[in-house]
Amino acid sequence: MSLEPNEFMSKMVSRTGFSADDQKTLQAAAAWGLEIAPEMADYFYDYMGRDAEMSVILNESEGRIHRLRETFVSWFHEMFTGMDNWGNAYADRRWRIGLIHVRIGIGPQHVVPAMAVVVHEAGKRAKADGKDQQLCDALSKICMVDLAFIEQAYIEVSSAAVLKETGWSEGLFRRLVATGAAAM
Amino acid sequence: MAISTEKLTHILQSFVTSTTDIQGAAVVTPDGLPLAASLPGGMDEERVSAMSAAMLSLGDRIGSELARGGIDRIYVEGDKGYGILTSCGEDAVFLVLADKAAKQGLLLLEIKRTLGDLKAVLM
Repeated sequence: MSLEPNEFMSKMVSRTGFSADDQKTLQAAAAWGLEIAPEMADYFYDYMGRDAEMSVILNESEGRIHRLRETFVSWFHEMFTGMDNWGNAYADRRWRIGLIHVRIGIGPQHVVPAMAVVVHEAGKRAKADGKDQQLCDALSKICMVDLAFIEQAYIEVSSAAVLKETGWSEGLFRRLVATGAAAM
Repeated sequence: MAISTEKLTHILQSFVTSTTDIQGAAVVTPDGLPLAASLPGGMDEERVSAMSAAMLSLGDRIGSELARGGIDRIYVEGDKGYGILTSCGEDAVFLVLADKAAKQGLLLLEIKRTLGDLKAVLM
């Protein structure tokens, strides 16, 4: 169950309807994206930090929150630039970001609501700055694509660990999950 | 040549009915899919198959990690009886359910004999 980032990216782009027009809209607003990125990082980490469990993780080592904030600013800006037009480099970086979330223990249950806060606050800021709705829609779509990478990273890493330790085949693992879920 | 499910089922049924204290048997793929089964009423064939394959591959993994070599069989002993899982080549797992009163020597001999029959059909 090893994920191929570029293939996953294509699927998510198709599922969210992230179009060439969305890409152009975001790229045209890249400077604005960079300008508001630190403010969005504040919203994101303020929200996360309000949770006691997350606060411990975010502040576990010296400078972690600072590094995470810096990563957030780059990540946020990259959603506007698309790096290589939302190609391989973009997908690989999203996959690595997902793996980092798994490694430090920031799960979907924390990231999903925090991402919703970012989408909401970015929307408010766009309105205040006179940006049109198309920009908010495009940003919302690419945020969902990125969020899917983080969620999928959790599934992939957990599954890979189980397969490695048990020797089960992927087919057997899926069957056990399906029968287990049916029994719940 | 296609695998004959009828032959597999016939071998299992014959094994279950002719061997003393055997309660059920099944042949499943390493992915946990049932190939043939003759199980006691109330047992879910799909679940039993997935569980059997999971146990045997986990046993293989444990055997390797704990330097026990290749695993011939996994033996589950409960206060109501036995569950014995035996590898049936690369493509199948043989599960046998036996009563607590089963004579183990006889049981293992019968399993060995039946394994030969099953392998002949599966090849």
